[in-house]
Amino acid sequence: MVSKAADTADFIKTVRLFREFNDPELLALTGRLRERKLRKGQVLFREGDEGEEMFLVREGAILVSKAVTGKVEQVLARFGPGDFFGEMSLFDRSPRSATIQAETDAMLLALDRDNLNGLIQVNPRAAAAFFHGLVQVFIERLRTSSELVAEITRWGLEATGLDMESR
Amino acid sequence: MTDIPVPRRAKIELLVRRDDESFELQEVSSSAAWVQMCPTRVADADFELAEVTSRVSHEPSFILKNRKTERFLMLSEPERFLWDQMHGHTALQEMATAYVLKYGEFNFDIIPSLVRKLQKAQLLTLEPASRLRRVLARNRQQRLLRAAEATLFALERINISSRRVQPFFDRLYHWGGFLLFTRAAAVVCVLLGLLGLAAGVRLWQSADTIAAGFGGHAVVAVISVKLLLLTTLAFHQLVHGLALVHYGRRVREFGFTFLHGILPTFYVDVTDIFMASRRARVVTAVSGTLVHLVLGALWFLVALYAPPGFFRAFAAASGIIQLQTFVIALYPFCFIEMDGYHVLVDALGVPTLKSDALTYVAGLLRGAAPVPWSREAALYLGYVMLSTLSVAGFVAFNVLLILHARS
Repeated sequence: MVSKAADTADFIKTVRLFREFNDPELLALTGRLRERKLRKGQVLFREGDEGEEMFLVREGAILVSKAVTGKVEQVLARFGPGDFFGEMSLFDRSPRSATIQAETDAMLLALDRDNLNGLIQVNPRAAAAFFHGLVQVFIERLRTSSELVAEITRWGLEATGLDMESR
Repeated sequence: MTDIPVPRRAKIELLVRRDDESFELQEVSSSAAWVQMCPTRVADADFELAEVTSRVSHEPSFILKNRKTERFLMLSEPERFLWDQMHGHTALQEMATAYVLKYGEFNFDIIPSLVRKLQKAQLLTLEPASRLRRVLARNRQQRLLRAAEATLFALERINISSRRVQPFFDRLYHWGGFLLFTRAAAVVCVLLGLLGLAAGVRLWQSADTIAAGFGGHAVVAVISVKLLLLTTLAFHQLVHGLALVHYGRRVREFGFTFLHGILPTFYVDVTDIFMASRRARVVTAVSGTLVHLVLGALWFLVALYAPPGFFRAFAAASGIIQLQTFVIALYPFCFIEMDGYHVLVDALGVPTLKSDALTYVAGLLRGAAPVPWSREAALYLGYVMLSTLSVAGFVAFNVLLILHARS
């Protein structure tokens, strides 16, 4: 049991949000996480669902998609071991902004709002490190989103043959 | 001088859900989407087209005017031909094929440059092409239509194909496929056709007795016969592919799909035959259909000598279906662009006959401005009238057959 907690703590240390955590903080966090297994193709949650948890990817590959039309969704991102997702609903209490499904069999660690709040209140230093990591990841994702918007715009222009340069 | 790197074509990755909650991922490049785009010109009332002839070269050219923006464009004769196709029902890929058939050359730069020119002059709109899909998309709140759209979409997604089939067709040709393109094969085909026809006439005289062999399961039998027909469509396409090899052209793709999301069918990409002679194109188109003539004749001969019972009825029904398919594939007037249609438009030099004819007749029915009578107008009217009569006759014949079999 101790060994499993230590393994989990070692894994969490690799997650960007928790890199600044010291060992006691990591062990404390381990107790607040819940394992969740997904089969290949299984949907974890859908766009519009209520959200109370964020997830760390321990094993496998996760696909993030957003509805476009009918049964077609656009793939926005892929997450692998060490990545995390689902944190937005924890903070703004809005419905899920995208659908999450497993591209391969996957194992996740879930952290719900109450446990996150507990962590923040009990350990301000760890909380500061957590939010610092979160801001860095948000900035990266914002950049990636901007690139995706540009790529999709380029796709639309190429697919329709629109020549904006000579208009 | 430094070469400017060509930017890679943009791609998007889509996730398409199936009904069983599983999904598939598809990467769609912008170029694949572009060739399937059906450009739609602005409404007829919003443009004018006038012909001018050069006093130097004596070649015709055309002035296209956007009445709203007062912008003018000069179009060459080939560009005018392409402009005429831009009614929202012809994909750019089909336009390229039509262009090759009409002008006998691959000058595909003309298409993107014309599209750019027209867009700049605001003479094109970018609406989706399929009216059916537009109606379905608009009415998604109705469960039945939503299900129909989902079904169409799911069926359209089914495509099992390979682009590395040339070695397979080469081997098939060298292992005996070449025999199909000999005089002896043509003679055998004609003889079998005549024997099959004679057998069919004799079978028709005792049609009641033969149909009784189904023992009250006529509908089930007809469905199973049609399923069997589906497998023979694969042979039909294989022969098309062998014809390409025979004329030294390349088979680009072979596969199975649901045509328009409804009709299950095998297909082979024979576009490379456009580089060959007209004779090669005609032989390629006709040779595939002969599979059904041969099979139909064989089934009739089997039925003629089989003992009374279910098998005899099944053989006779298979013969009828095969010969129907032979006629439909070769008969150009049935609104379906099959082999006979391609031979006809190739001979007439009107590669977009069906869509032009439908557009023309739809305009007449809507009471649009009368179009001056011309040979083209006569051709369009003739095509639509013959096709309508043929389809009605085909449906009536099948209803008659089923009623006959059930009685």
